[in-house]
Amino acid sequence: MECAFAITGKDFVLIASDMSAGRSIIQMKSNENKITPVGPNLAMACGGEPGDTSRFADYVDRNLRLYHIRNNFPLPPPSAASWVRRILAESIRSRSPYAVNVLLGGFDTTTSKPHLYWLDYLGTKADIPYAAQGVGMYVTLSTMDKWWYENIERREALDVLNKCVDEVKKRVTIKFDFNCVLIDKDGVHSLDLKSQDPIAELEAKVAAMKPSDPEPIIPSSDAPAIAAA
Amino acid sequence: MNAIIQNLSTPSHLPTTEEDELKGYGNLDEMGRIKGMQIPRVPDPTAFLNLYTDSMSSNPEAKIKLAHGTTTLAFRFKGGIIVAVDSRATAGSYIASGTVKKVIEINPYLLGTMAGGAADCQYWETYLGMRCRLYELRNKERISVAAASKILSNIVYGYKGRGLSMGTMICGWDKTGPALFYVDSEGQRLKGDLFSVGSGSTFAYGVLDQGYSYDLSDEEAQELGRRSIIAAGHRDAFSGNTCNLYHVRENGWEFIGNYDVSQQWYEYEAKKKAAREAASSEMAVEV
Amino acid sequence: MTLLAQSPMSLHDTYAAPVEHRFNPYSENGGTILAIAGADFSVIAGDTRQSEGYSIQTRYARKVFQLTDNAVLATNGFAADGKNFVRRLKQSLEWYQHNHHKQMGLKAIARLIQTMLYGRRFFPYYVYNILGGIEEDGSGAVYSFDPVGSYEREACRAAGAAQALVQPFLDNQIYFKNQQPEPGAEPFVPGRLPLSTVLGLVVDSFTSATERHIEVGDGIEIFIVMAKGRSPESLLDEKLGEGMTIEEVPPVGEGGEERTFLLSGPLKRD
Repeated sequence: MECAFAITGKDFVLIASDMSAGRSIIQMKSNENKITPVGPNLAMACGGEPGDTSRFADYVDRNLRLYHIRNNFPLPPPSAASWVRRILAESIRSRSPYAVNVLLGGFDTTTSKPHLYWLDYLGTKADIPYAAQGVGMYVTLSTMDKWWYENIERREALDVLNKCVDEVKKRVTIKFDFNCVLIDKDGVHSLDLKSQDPIAELEAKVAAMKPSDPEPIIPSSDAPAIAAA
Repeated sequence: MNAIIQNLSTPSHLPTTEEDELKGYGNLDEMGRIKGMQIPRVPDPTAFLNLYTDSMSSNPEAKIKLAHGTTTLAFRFKGGIIVAVDSRATAGSYIASGTVKKVIEINPYLLGTMAGGAADCQYWETYLGMRCRLYELRNKERISVAAASKILSNIVYGYKGRGLSMGTMICGWDKTGPALFYVDSEGQRLKGDLFSVGSGSTFAYGVLDQGYSYDLSDEEAQELGRRSIIAAGHRDAFSGNTCNLYHVRENGWEFIGNYDVSQQWYEYEAKKKAAREAASSEMAVEV
Repeated sequence: MTLLAQSPMSLHDTYAAPVEHRFNPYSENGGTILAIAGADFSVIAGDTRQSEGYSIQTRYARKVFQLTDNAVLATNGFAADGKNFVRRLKQSLEWYQHNHHKQMGLKAIARLIQTMLYGRRFFPYYVYNILGGIEEDGSGAVYSFDPVGSYEREACRAAGAAQALVQPFLDNQIYFKNQQPEPGAEPFVPGRLPLSTVLGLVVDSFTSATERHIEVGDGIEIFIVMAKGRSPESLLDEKLGEGMTIEEVPPVGEGGEERTFLLSGPLKRD
């Protein structure tokens, strides 16, 4: 049981995902990061069969990084999404398919446009402005339908996202904790949903950084787990 | 051991003769890959296996009953890691053994726990011990707990959906300090501070979660681990007999003791009663 | 002519029901085995009845086999798998002896059995094994296995059809479970019983199991492995039960170390 949703705005994408992990009715962990950065301006939320999810994220991450190293530029989001879709489509026709559903969000630095893709384990791909996966689909899509608008600003988008989180907490019987990332021209940033004004915090953090810093910002929540994985 | 290293470090060599096939470890060829695992020639080997074996009591009609049923737990705290397990193995409703060692001593600083199929855990964790030793010989340093657990996870993920059943915790102390990973046959691998696995895990969590804090003293932590297993042994019919307790510290693990579940339970009850009586007599004095 | 003129109905009957093809390579052949370890000996026993369902296939089928001078294996479950397994195991042990010019130790045999059983994890041998013998330090040992190779060293173990009848008796008599020493008496120490007592328990286990289980009976074979230096006289002096015979089993290797004896006798045949 998992839940993830994402929203695109004027020059960014927001992705939020639950952080629960366990077996059947028992929750064994409530701070497992399920959003993997898979490029300097690209991140992926994975849900589905336990085991498959983390391995699929690793596989995508390593292959996109290899592409980056070989060609000296990262695969732009539309191409990355096509590639991920092809992997899933080939996988479903193999003997041991990845049962993984994906939200892939990225910022295309060549065209300065945000992109969001909804993919499922069958190899279905949809290019959409806002999306949800898992149980969240049933309660948050209408929320986003009502409050989302084109070229939405960051704070407003975060408000919509928080509405979705609230709705899930209110209507879904399973208790979830969420983490969130924002992807823009500067990279993949993690947002603290509990803080008063996460956008201001993020702006301060970006301003404090040297403009020439080549390292992409990796989501800080549970960073060692990402490094270990 | 030299022969094994030699075998493992000669790539692109395929076994041609019967003698070649004898190299490696058990069912593993000289490359460390799995070989000679016999599979029935039927359209769906997994369905075949499920028809005749009962590894999780899901198929009680099956002929071949494999030992299973468990409570295991491990948690991280300031003094290291506590590992506590029960010792009962059941096949159907028969108690196949009450003296099972469910903590597998992989090497002097790594422990693995056993839940699910007894043979799956025993065999693959023994093999993990071999892989960890080879890592040491090649790299002149101990393997990290993260890497060791990843080796195990990679192996069982390769068998996903084929009927393996294991839920294990890999516990140890490496350069990063005490580390604890949960690895299961679904391919899941989680890093964490506190886990419990097995049919009695829900009951163990009930005591463990309420008493857990990172700042527990060594004695308090050991008592919490022991008390949680006793609680699970009391409530879960598939768990019980005795509790084995281990403590992982910087210089490796230490076996703390073996405790009889039912005997301990009565001791706890007596203590509870005595405390209540003491409290009520105090009340009487105050009145 | 009349012979060839079969009724069309019976011909038709052959095709009336769909023929179901399911691969079923397993059967269950009953019987019971048990092993008990002493301080410097090990006793491994089994009955000799082999049955399938309610019919007895044979009254004499071996379930207990000498592997090396210090190891004896008892198998139970599906007889064909058991036979095949023992054959493969003996071959492995022979190769080991040729390669190393010594017999494999008991501990190593136990691990070998694990890897052999686990090699068939996805197509298991339907066999419950109990290995008994003398450890390299001279102590008696029993190892018990499940069909896919999980194993444990124990002081005693019963397996097979009557395991639920025999094991509780052994728990009580060998591990002294649910027994209290008399006030002032020495506490019980498991695994220190004299051979004569152990043999008595084994025979009683089988005669009782024969009384209450239809798949147990016909005959009993008890292998006794004695550590180096232990005098077998205690065994020969023993007043054997009615119809029981004892013989020394010739060593597999050079001999002169551990000695193996086979005590066999009748059980009820009804």
